Amino acid sequence: MNEILLSNQVIVYLLSESVLFGLLLVAFVITLGILAKWDFGSYSEQQFRLERRAYLVMTILLFAFVVKFLLLVYFVFTIDNLSVLVPGAMCAAGVISANDYGMPLLFLKLLILFFLLLWMAVNSFDLKARNYPLFRLKSWFFIAIFLLIAVETGLDFAYFGQIDIQKPVSCCSTLYGQMEGANPLPFGLNTATLLMLFYLLYAVVAGALLSGQRALSLLASLLFVVIAYYSVVYFFGTYIYELPTHKCPFCMLQKEYYYVGYLVWGTLFGGIYLGMIASVMEITLKVERGRERKVALILLSIFVLLCTAYVAVYYLRNGVFL
Amino acid sequence: MKKIVPIVLILLMLAVIATIFISMAKEDQPVTIMTGNTEMKPLPIKFNHTNDPQCAMLLKTDHNALEVAIPDGRTWFFDDPGCMILWIEKKPFRDQAKIWVHTIDTGKWIDAKKAHYGVTDKTEMRYGFGAREHESNGTIDFEEMRLRMLRGENLTNPKIRKKLLGI
Repeated sequence: MNEILLSNQVIVYLLSESVLFGLLLVAFVITLGILAKWDFGSYSEQQFRLERRAYLVMTILLFAFVVKFLLLVYFVFTIDNLSVLVPGAMCAAGVISANDYGMPLLFLKLLILFFLLLWMAVNSFDLKARNYPLFRLKSWFFIAIFLLIAVETGLDFAYFGQIDIQKPVSCCSTLYGQMEGANPLPFGLNTATLLMLFYLLYAVVAGALLSGQRALSLLASLLFVVIAYYSVVYFFGTYIYELPTHKCPFCMLQKEYYYVGYLVWGTLFGGIYLGMIASVMEITLKVERGRERKVALILLSIFVLLCTAYVAVYYLRNGVFL
Repeated sequence: MKKIVPIVLILLMLAVIATIFISMAKEDQPVTIMTGNTEMKPLPIKFNHTNDPQCAMLLKTDHNALEVAIPDGRTWFFDDPGCMILWIEKKPFRDQAKIWVHTIDTGKWIDAKKAHYGVTDKTEMRYGFGAREHESNGTIDFEEMRLRMLRGENLTNPKIRKKLLGI
């Protein structure tokens, strides 16, 4: 048996994912039944029973969102800890690339969390409307999310089950290091242009969130998350590590860096998710989501200030940039 | 003010998009792979613009360089026979690949599997295996070179270096 599957953290993680999947499977079956017989205009006993079941599904999904969020953090923490077992790995970067399932799994987890958050926003709007105008839409949306979660659960087992602890993996310096003469940044950007775009896009996202320009906010957010990722890995991260050659999105999640990676990535993705959900809801449902926009702006501002502070503090202490 | 803000934001966004397009137009990345070489012949190497996929270094000369061409036309370039051995070992196309090496004695591209390899040559990654067209004292064949490389018996190993060079 694969020794990775005997690790305490992996057992806890896979067990939690399995229990949650079982719970969501119940919600999925109930939702299919509800969709087949739902008639809000009816006063039959069956319709009242379906409405009570719809509340059960909603409760399960709210619980699933909270647990999925905690499990994403725990997943990252687990793979980071597994780096002591996998030869060659110095942090989660090596472990996540130990087989072909790691990176798609992480991406899928982020996508599912976004969809669950969007489902919750749609659900809260639906509940306030009293006559459930979006009931069918949100039910079909849940079915789509459930299918993604089924793939995710399969990938969880495939990923952890196929980490070979006899086979050395690459460390982050190799994975995120660049080829001689090659530019690792997207769109052929250099570091100066990347930073200019980082601050410019933050200004556009902040301005669009404040002035309520939904389409612009959506477009700028999508671009900002890409530019911000590369900015953190290839520029701000080097100030977190205080080492110009250390380029890694995972090492900052470790104790040596005071777990600041959780704050960096949490504020970035939290802000982007909430900003995008507010824009999507405002464009499609024509509802005002001012609170989400404010929280998104606060989270993104914390992210930008935090990244900038690392550079500023380094410069003030050492008198030079890296 | 309310009318100016959206215009300023749209202008900023246009500036962002324009910057990205200009950067993309200027992009001139080194290559690690060439396509279309279905004849599996050795291709001319663009020096200082071609990366070795194993060690990630740029190829600055064809002296002792290698090329791996496979039937679908893809071709990779290497600066040291040792790099090629490590890279190709677990590739599914290992047996179908045509491997070319630029010899250090005749300066020709020949079949790497027919070349003879010195064990104490000064090569790009200091593994020590210099390819020759003609057999000479102390040279080994391709299979022996491959095995030594995979076992770590090359000049990067201090014990082997001490044994072969005395340093």
